[in-house]
Amino acid sequence: MTGDVVAAGSDGCHLFSGCGFPAPGLQDFNFRPLFTIGSFHFTKPMLVTILCAIAVIAFFWAAFSKPKVVPGKLQSLGELGVLAVRDQILRPSMGRRGDKYLGFHVSLFFFIFLTNLMELIPVIQFPAMSRISFVVPMALTVYVTYLYLGFKNQGAWGYIANMWPRGVPWPIYIILIPVELLRFFFIQPFTLGIRLFANMFAGHLLLAIFMVATWYLASISIGLLFAVGSAAMVIFVFLLELLVDLLQAFIFTTLTATYIATSLEAQH
Amino acid sequence: MVSTRGRRSPGHGEKNIEAESRAQGLSTGWEVFSYLIAGMAAYGGIGWLIGHFTHISLLFPIGMMVGLGISVGWVIYRYGRGMNGELDGGYGHGNKRGDDR
Repeated sequence: MTGDVVAAGSDGCHLFSGCGFPAPGLQDFNFRPLFTIGSFHFTKPMLVTILCAIAVIAFFWAAFSKPKVVPGKLQSLGELGVLAVRDQILRPSMGRRGDKYLGFHVSLFFFIFLTNLMELIPVIQFPAMSRISFVVPMALTVYVTYLYLGFKNQGAWGYIANMWPRGVPWPIYIILIPVELLRFFFIQPFTLGIRLFANMFAGHLLLAIFMVATWYLASISIGLLFAVGSAAMVIFVFLLELLVDLLQAFIFTTLTATYIATSLEAQH
Repeated sequence: MVSTRGRRSPGHGEKNIEAESRAQGLSTGWEVFSYLIAGMAAYGGIGWLIGHFTHISLLFPIGMMVGLGISVGWVIYRYGRGMNGELDGGYGHGNKRGDDR
């Protein structure tokens, strides 16, 4: 956590000490660059994202580089993760033909999950997905993937034509054309990304607010009672965020699987 | 990566049906949400465009309301009927999935 959280701690800013509540806000999502190359600023969220990507690659590399018939602990853990994504996300959406996209979905799920979890790790305490610039490339990757697969499997015209439902009177088609086109080409990828971003943004802000409030209220006064309440909220939000981190990774990957499924076959 | 083909997690059958309905529910939920936003954005945009040239600014909010109405009507037609089992093909993307399972 940055900005005011650090300021509140270092300055000894408490209730009745003359300073106002240092409310967390957008400034807590901006970081000073760790280093700069020309006009490019390398910041903490970039470092966290790269480390998470390396961690996911390293884990699965270590688990599956030398697979054994009787799996060791690491391989068992890796298989558990892969099977969970396959049975809970991929196959329910795509059936067995989705198995060839298992690698993509496993990477996507564990990368998002690990990146989200970083908001709960002391010192790091920041989910990179609470910055829209980290979410947009992922949503775009999924968007390009399902468009490419749709055009490849059904043809450009077939893919677009198959979006339209059957058995609807033709005047309804005309009314629905702008809605369907906008939904499919813009709103669908937009909602895919914005939901992940908004959840992580709100979660991080909530945690920051209660953490700063706990510190701010902790003084030899009636404020101490409220500080205890705020500390309880920190624990509650922490546990809630643990669930949200997993859930958001799950939803993003499930919707990706569903969108790819529509690219592989026509809807009717 | 180790091939997981043919391997099954415990309680595979029942859990898979549950997982399928969960995935379909999730997909349908976000499709409905997308329809509502798309309807407002599409017809709000058309209203704004016409309003821009005719200098009638009221066309923008009217367009949005019309779009929302169209979206709500379409969602009820498409998904509401599907829930009653009257329109088998009512569900959109992924409706035919699972035929090779």
